[in-house]
Amino acid sequence: MPTETLSPPVLKQGPAQEISANPTYLEAVAAALDHEMERDPDVFIIGEDVGQFGGAFKVTKGFLDKYGPRRVVDTPIAETGFTGLAAGAALVGLRPVVEFQFADFISCAFDPIINVLARHHWRNGDPMPVTMRAPFGARLRAGPTHSQSVEAYFAHVPGLKIVMPGTPEDVPGLLISSIRDDNPTLFLENKYLYRRLRANGPLSMEPIPLGVAKVVREGRDVSLITYSAGVHQGVEIAQELDKEGISVEVVDIRTVVPLDVETIVNSVKKTSRAVVLHEDSRRLGYGAEIAATIQEEAFWHLDQPITRIAAKDTPIATSPPLEDAIIPQPAEIAETLRKVAKA
Amino acid sequence: MAKTDKKSSTELEGRDPELLRRIYEVMVLTRAVEDRMVAMYRGGDLLGSLYTGHWHEAISVGATAALRADDYVAAIHRDLGAHLWRGMEPWQVMASFMGKATSPTGGRDGTLHYARLDLGFYNLPSHIPANFPVATGMAFAARYRGEDKVCLAFCGDGSTSRADFHEALSIASVQSLPNVFVIENNQYAYSTPLRLTSHSQNFSDKAKAYGIPGVTVDGTDVLAVHDAVAEAVTRARAGDGPSIVEGVTMRMHGHAEHDPADYVVKELYDEYGKKDPVELFENVLLKGGVLDDDAVKKTREDARQAAIAARRKALADPMPDPSNVEEGVYAD
Repeated sequence: MPTETLSPPVLKQGPAQEISANPTYLEAVAAALDHEMERDPDVFIIGEDVGQFGGAFKVTKGFLDKYGPRRVVDTPIAETGFTGLAAGAALVGLRPVVEFQFADFISCAFDPIINVLARHHWRNGDPMPVTMRAPFGARLRAGPTHSQSVEAYFAHVPGLKIVMPGTPEDVPGLLISSIRDDNPTLFLENKYLYRRLRANGPLSMEPIPLGVAKVVREGRDVSLITYSAGVHQGVEIAQELDKEGISVEVVDIRTVVPLDVETIVNSVKKTSRAVVLHEDSRRLGYGAEIAATIQEEAFWHLDQPITRIAAKDTPIATSPPLEDAIIPQPAEIAETLRKVAKA
Repeated sequence: MAKTDKKSSTELEGRDPELLRRIYEVMVLTRAVEDRMVAMYRGGDLLGSLYTGHWHEAISVGATAALRADDYVAAIHRDLGAHLWRGMEPWQVMASFMGKATSPTGGRDGTLHYARLDLGFYNLPSHIPANFPVATGMAFAARYRGEDKVCLAFCGDGSTSRADFHEALSIASVQSLPNVFVIENNQYAYSTPLRLTSHSQNFSDKAKAYGIPGVTVDGTDVLAVHDAVAEAVTRARAGDGPSIVEGVTMRMHGHAEHDPADYVVKELYDEYGKKDPVELFENVLLKGGVLDDDAVKKTREDARQAAIAARRKALADPMPDPSNVEEGVYAD
């Protein structure tokens, strides 16, 4: 077959790429992909520049050498095409991992995601085990069409799961669970965290169930419900506020869909105050869903109205002063938490 | 009107008479079931509209008959014949257009969305061209596993305008996937005539852009379709990559039965009225001695009775139970 002529004569042994002693968020993605590809021969990677180039962010660097072009598939710039291809391959038993170069480009594959992948199981009863990885988010001065958060577009759609890890420690367990899941799953990687966050030590490859939130910091006065980059941001601010005598509980929802309502509600029942934080824009951002859920499930426990912190309802700007004015900043988050905690 | 690359194939020598008879039977059954369903639509048996494949029988049956039973198919709403060829029951199709619990999707989807994966078919959404990328995935999976299965995908002239078509063809050609893409050129994309869909003479010319073979055949000539698709299947199975086969025909009914299609140029109806693919093939088989008048009569009557029985069963079948409507959004 033609692709075999592309195969290197001897495939590389050992890890696809070197993982440091304190792995970065990005290395955590690579390590989990490598782990699953070693474990399951039906798992393959497909996307733009994922093979010989190793991906725009180098997540799949070394994978072509280890797994060959049969399992690491470079495609033309054709998001609709390769997402649909993944659906067809999954339909007959493979487990594709699709890489979107930037989450911004996922809109080009909206149709196969919504109308082919998400609805298929409910319509037909067949599993659709497709994992779609996409680096998303702001703070890299990348501008309006290279910085978007996309979870809210997809959270509305029945049949999709949406996973948004906030720490390198959570990345492998959540990615492994996404790949093993029989449903189409969006795995949204915060590209600002790729090389900024490091794990404290070696990574666990133990799967983390989807739909289980994590209380990453216990507190008494106010619950900060957040995900992705909001988690380390929230923890840092909580440590500062601790010095002022304000005790913040930080809840990382980890998966947007399914949402672990119980953990959120238990936290809010304990603190009686809730602040929701994300870097997606405010109007119909996922925070609206979290706030509505808290209102339905824990209204009588609340001492204060639920407060949302989110990006402004504008596109994400390129120039630093403009982008910083749009994305939630530490000072705004700290001030909101103070206000809610003391009120 | 597109020029065809091949002469009409009326030569029967060297062909398996069993295969010829089976192709004829499925074409006749397809026509009988669809005629019956048109009556059902008019009589109010069906839920929404009805999409039929009158004058597409030579393409849907002729192409699918060139496959092995384990090959994959991504068919569209003009291809009832492809499903029947593989063993779909006519009553299941009727049940789908009625939202019955016994339809292949249990009434969750309906109308033209009745394809069965257990027969090797992808059940496409209403976004018809979406089936092309999915078809590349089924072909990709076959090759990934070292199997020599191919995937046959159908689309209409309208679908060729969509990005799905171009992206699927791009990927299939650079990856040399075992796909056969059949374009059913029936002159109209809903109400849009060919001249507003494409500036090319032929849809098979698009193959040149992907560096793959493309051929245009008379889509009312079942053997011409069959031979062209068989050649493309052989090529795909051998690992030599995808091909395009364009079958030129005419959509003899509206886009769906609600559509009077008064925008259609009358001359096209006149021209194609004389080219009923079922009759054309029937005459070839009669002339070639594969069938006699009695066999033709019996085949036609058996098909009519099968359609009547299918309607009876579908009508009597239950509607789905709404109590489980929230189940199955996710696979466990």
